[in-house]
Amino acid sequence: MDGVSYQRFPKVKIREMKDDYLKFELRETDASIANALRRVMIAEVPTIAIDLVEIEGNSSVLNDEFIAHRLGLIPLTSERAMGMRFSRDCDACDGDGQCEYCSVEFHLHVRCDTDQTLDVTSYDLRSSDPSVVPVDVAQHSESTGYDASEQRGIIIVKLRRGQELRLRAIARKGIGKDHAKWSPAATVTFMYEPEIHINEDLMETLTLDEKRDWIESSPTKVFGLDPNTHQVVVVDPEAYTYDDEVIKKAEAMGKPGLVEIYAKEDSFIFTVESTGAIKASQLVVNAIEVLKQKLDVVRPSEETEEADDQFGELGAHMRGG
Amino acid sequence: MNAPDRYERFVVPEGTKKVSYERDTKIINAASFTLEREEHTIGNILRMQLHRDPNVLFAGYKLPHPLQYKIIVRIHTTSQSSPMQAYNQAINDLDRELNHLKNAFEEEMMRISREY
Ligand SMILES: [Zn+2]
Repeated sequence: MDGVSYQRFPKVKIREMKDDYLKFELRETDASIANALRRVMIAEVPTIAIDLVEIEGNSSVLNDEFIAHRLGLIPLTSERAMGMRFSRDCDACDGDGQCEYCSVEFHLHVRCDTDQTLDVTSYDLRSSDPSVVPVDVAQHSESTGYDASEQRGIIIVKLRRGQELRLRAIARKGIGKDHAKWSPAATVTFMYEPEIHINEDLMETLTLDEKRDWIESSPTKVFGLDPNTHQVVVVDPEAYTYDDEVIKKAEAMGKPGLVEIYAKEDSFIFTVESTGAIKASQLVVNAIEVLKQKLDVVRPSEETEEADDQFGELGAHMRGG
Repeated sequence: MNAPDRYERFVVPEGTKKVSYERDTKIINAASFTLEREEHTIGNILRMQLHRDPNVLFAGYKLPHPLQYKIIVRIHTTSQSSPMQAYNQAINDLDRELNHLKNAFEEEMMRISREY
């Protein structure tokens, strides 16, 4: 019954990898896979964010819901998120979403007793789980390459003398599709790798000034002039934005076909920037995992398949088989 | 006030089947799969994978309405296959492709971290 496989074997090459930035090449697959990965990274890879706030006291200038909203937007370190439960599927706390399997508790209590304005920041949040803390706090404690004096936390509100903020917050697992505060992606983009062919014979019919003029017609620096040979060379193919300007320019100069540019349909260059909730490289790995899980739940159930088998026999009878 | 809950977009309501299947009443080997709470992410990769199968004569998907959180995948095959067989094969192939991609990516991550 098993059919032949039409599987592909994509290739990956990482060009640059930092904690919150990743650039890589994806080859030998199609745009549907590239786009599915991009969409999943933005909207379906889970992270942890503050989702419920109980204000115990607030005499600041901002109202309660304004502060609750700001708390929700603070990115939290979310390495745990993939292994956590969504509160709505958690049976350990049936739906109230406040147990250790599906939530992390935060407390904040700040009071200003001086004449100087006091900043309430992400540093003032006290987490019940040391692995789930505001991203900037985690970077500060690692102190790797960050200037400590520049790290002042994310400002939540400012207090003047006598004002106080006191609250309890529950952070939960969620996805960007539900609310953008759960998206681990700052930006995820991909582009087709361009393939640029210069017609050298035709190019040599151009004067030096015409060459310069033609090179300048591109809004991005794709082409350049070799200072010694005065030949037009491709400086940076990926700077090309598929704007067609150089092609139009060549036609306007009466030199159609001076350059041909194709988008390689099975070759993509990805740029991934993370909010810091998870590492950019982990974001890609998690996206593949989430996509696999999504595929797994759209497999037809056995009863659906059996119903089809019976249907098939019935059909065969009707056709006289 | 009467806005639908946000989770309506991705949580399958109780008593609703994630995948349902309906054969075409007029055309042999044609059928539609309704996938609840899915959209372009799944619809487009399934469609493109189905196009790689030479026994698939037609494969397409639609999102009937932005407020109906489901997609419909329609498949028509030759008599050598069936919509159910082609659909299952497409999912298996995509799953294996993603396994391969995950391994390839993790190997590449190891290689890059060694360079630092
Ligand atoms: Zn729970």
